[in-house]
Amino acid sequence: MQLRDYILRRLMILPVLILGVSIVVFTLTRVGGSPVGIYLSHEMTPAEVAQIEARYGLDKPLPVQYVNWLGGIFSGDFGWSGVSAAPVADVFPLKLAATMELAVSAGIVAVFLGVTLGTYAGARRNRLPDHITRIVAVSGASLPLFWLGILLLIVFWANLGIAPIGRSDAVIWDSIAHPTGLYTIDAIIALSPTALWDAIWHLILPAVTLGYGATAIIARMMRSSLVEELQQDYVDAARAKGLAEKLVLKRHARRNALVPTVTVIGLTFGFLLQGTITAEIIFRWPGLGRWMADSVLRGDQATLMTYVLFTSVLFLFVNLIVDVVYAHLDRRVTLGD
Amino acid sequence: MLDAPRNAPVAEVNNLKVYFQAKRGRVHAVDGVSFEIRNGETLGLVGETGCGKSVTGRAFLRLLPVPPGILAGGNVTFRGADGESHDLLTLSDAKIRAIRGDRIAMIFQDPGKALNPTMTVGQQVSEVFLQHRSKELLERAGLASASGPIQRHARQSERIFDGLLLKLPGYRRHRQKLQSALNAMVCEALAATQVPNPAKLIDRYPHELSGGMRQRVMIAQALACNPDLLIADEPTTALDVTVEARILELISELQTARGTSVLYISHDLSLVRRICDRTAVMYAGRIVEIGPSGDIFRDPRHPYTRGLLAAIPTQAAPRGGLAAIKGSVPELIDPPEACRFAGRCPFATDACHAHDPELASVVGEHSVACFIHYPPPSGTRPSFDRETA
Amino acid sequence: MVDFPPSVRHRGATPRPLENATGVRLRRAGDLAKRLLSNPTTVFGLILIAVMLLIAIFAPWITDPNTPDPYQMPRDWGAVRMPPGTPGHILGTTNEGGDVFYGIIWGSRTSLQLSIFVVGSTVVIGTIIGSLAGIMGGWVDEVLMRIVDVFLSIPELIFALAIAAVLGPSFTNIIIALAMVIWVKYARIMRAQVIQVKQNEYVDAARVMGDSKLNIYLRDILPNAITPVTVQATLDMGNVVLIGATLSFIGLSEAGIAEWGVLVSEGQAGIASGRWWASTFPGLMIFLWALAFNLVGDGLRDALDPRTEGR
Repeated sequence: MQLRDYILRRLMILPVLILGVSIVVFTLTRVGGSPVGIYLSHEMTPAEVAQIEARYGLDKPLPVQYVNWLGGIFSGDFGWSGVSAAPVADVFPLKLAATMELAVSAGIVAVFLGVTLGTYAGARRNRLPDHITRIVAVSGASLPLFWLGILLLIVFWANLGIAPIGRSDAVIWDSIAHPTGLYTIDAIIALSPTALWDAIWHLILPAVTLGYGATAIIARMMRSSLVEELQQDYVDAARAKGLAEKLVLKRHARRNALVPTVTVIGLTFGFLLQGTITAEIIFRWPGLGRWMADSVLRGDQATLMTYVLFTSVLFLFVNLIVDVVYAHLDRRVTLGD
Repeated sequence: MLDAPRNAPVAEVNNLKVYFQAKRGRVHAVDGVSFEIRNGETLGLVGETGCGKSVTGRAFLRLLPVPPGILAGGNVTFRGADGESHDLLTLSDAKIRAIRGDRIAMIFQDPGKALNPTMTVGQQVSEVFLQHRSKELLERAGLASASGPIQRHARQSERIFDGLLLKLPGYRRHRQKLQSALNAMVCEALAATQVPNPAKLIDRYPHELSGGMRQRVMIAQALACNPDLLIADEPTTALDVTVEARILELISELQTARGTSVLYISHDLSLVRRICDRTAVMYAGRIVEIGPSGDIFRDPRHPYTRGLLAAIPTQAAPRGGLAAIKGSVPELIDPPEACRFAGRCPFATDACHAHDPELASVVGEHSVACFIHYPPPSGTRPSFDRETA
Repeated sequence: MVDFPPSVRHRGATPRPLENATGVRLRRAGDLAKRLLSNPTTVFGLILIAVMLLIAIFAPWITDPNTPDPYQMPRDWGAVRMPPGTPGHILGTTNEGGDVFYGIIWGSRTSLQLSIFVVGSTVVIGTIIGSLAGIMGGWVDEVLMRIVDVFLSIPELIFALAIAAVLGPSFTNIIIALAMVIWVKYARIMRAQVIQVKQNEYVDAARVMGDSKLNIYLRDILPNAITPVTVQATLDMGNVVLIGATLSFIGLSEAGIAEWGVLVSEGQAGIASGRWWASTFPGLMIFLWALAFNLVGDGLRDALDPRTEGR
């Protein structure tokens, strides 16, 4: 099958999956009872409650409600966020920018560190870099992200007092414009080294917390696939041509070992997305994850539904991209099921 | 170039020992192997799987997984066309790399595995030229006096920022010139292996080619620099019989044309008989019989060789004597002082279990490691007449 | 092409005496145990699991609750915010006078309940659904797998969080939410395995001999398909506690329950004033629990896969 056909077919399945997710999300929130609770107060009479329900169409049958909700989404109406006292659609982009800045920086660091660690470990098995990578890999898969964050806070914030909490210093934040909502980018646009330093300084601890587990996953995959590639005949064939060991590793083995690692990097994205919830709670990061946690605890269903739907769609797209990249990298892959 | 006399050895293996560390002890994979490869000849190295023939072949390029592979002793002397001789096992890494692919080349068993699946044919063959013929390449491209980054690019030893520099417009033109000269060289190498339309082959990936085509690419890559010695490790085992014949023909043609010596490693006796000037038979890490192919196949002197030849189907016994050799190969972990074949040999006596026979000449160049042909230090001397099987 | 005769080519040509199926399985189990125990990190994981289980089993003897509901943290209002080393409170107390040591000990019981219930129920459900899809094929397979696909499209933790949120904050609901999310993994693994095993010749042989479908499934397919499920289940014994603790940390358990995630969350408030202990110790327990099962799960996978030998 051609790569183009494969992408087309995957793109055709995508809407079906998204529709499925939307049904699951909708059903889920309705199981918990009427979402009208957030608008009610103790003094309301049953008649008044019924009136409110009628106003939001909640007296209609569930399928009709579902279609209404879906229709709303297509016209940009995601509902009302009780926590933020504003429409979900208004708050969402701001929170998303904060979360993306955190997740992407953690992801970049994790990919870079993970691939490097994994390469060293795989090329020098049973030596020091390998042992370090093993410790990182094993602990990274078992370390509760929220605990790691708290430990870092205890050391660097509570005791040493060198790390900040939150996303930026209020005074510095006020000093520049914020066209993108990504503070590091904003600082670069404003050509303000102070603001850039402030943004990065606030980013370091949460990004380390979030990126540690991802680093572990990537390093482990990179190590094992490099070990496997190094045992292949083509590696010896490359050596037999007279290539330097560095070139054998870089051009031949590592390149091929990266192919399966790409798949894992895709999975890591889901891991990062989930991790933002606790990382944002601990570091008071004003992103989607913390917003979602607040909304969940206060029964704010419109936010919950939007969040689950959004992350799933994002997750699906990332997986699609990963699969396409994988197919592109590895010419042997027969595209299909 | 100095023209060495036809019979001078291009390489000499002397008491080579390669061990592998296993949990229960040391596996003596190659245990005291000595032979020579003469200028222009094809030497066949036959034996069954695990007898150490591939490890011996790889020792010429020092391609041993070091640990757990241990070079326990011996040396491999290589005398190239330049007349200089080197001990391949103690050479510095840089020097052995200069020999690999240039003076000594190797063809692997399965071309499907020995070619990198994510690189095009052109990329893989050009690596040999970049490694060993960068000067010639630069001259052909008219870039002999080009600046640093281009020079380094042609030697595949770019520094950190060279990659960026080479993207600059000025360098880009030079790089394109270099690439077309390189492509021309690759095309010539491929054309020598009689592939149809070599220019088109350059951009193909190995999985898009047939097994025979892949092996031709491997051969083109191996013979690109006119090596003095070619190690062919079962190059046709993974191929169809019809393709096999054509590949063998190709190797022998190129060998005659270029005067390359070949070490042909195989488990296929009839094939070795057909193409090799001399044959060495390996068993359990040792050479048990070596000599001109004609002599060995007409008059095998070692019981193991006899057993093997008896197993070949002939017109008289189409299925061969399938029960030719009883028993199985001994474990090679710290083997005792004895003939390795004694446990399966129908002629073995107490002497064979107590002493280790050495290769000794029987007739002219035909040597055998067996007490049938010379008296053991003590004990009963075995003989073909006293058949006890 | 001439080849060496079989007698030459194969080592150890003497055939093994025929064994019955039970014998083979016993021998394989012995080999597996030997390989597992030859890996020091696996042994470390096994010891860790054993210690955790002992703590969970003997919790009432280690720290006596003296309260009607032992899973609720007892409060000692006379000793709030005490540092580790205080008599009667070795690991210190929380802001509300909860004993950290007590929480750690009884938290192992909560975690054990969570992991056994979630993994047990999802393995059963996943195996049944995956096997059905794999054996029946056709539209049954199609429908079941599309449902699985949709479930897998939602990130695990976020899905569990949403379900738990809808069900209301309680530890039991966390268990239910996790079970609803995790089963799809097993269904998918099991389906792939069943389809693969189904193509083996011995299954055909059994079919030709007229065995009933259920018999073939129970005797020939299931035992050969279950291996990857056991590896995943071992890993998940640790993972579900990790996710469950995360949900508790976010606030989806009852307050005051003796659960490690809740304790970390309660201790978080004190770190600004230097009270590091209330979060650190329970978090360490979560880490050790997950670590133990990850080590054993990895060891099991390596022991079952001969390719990884010597890595």
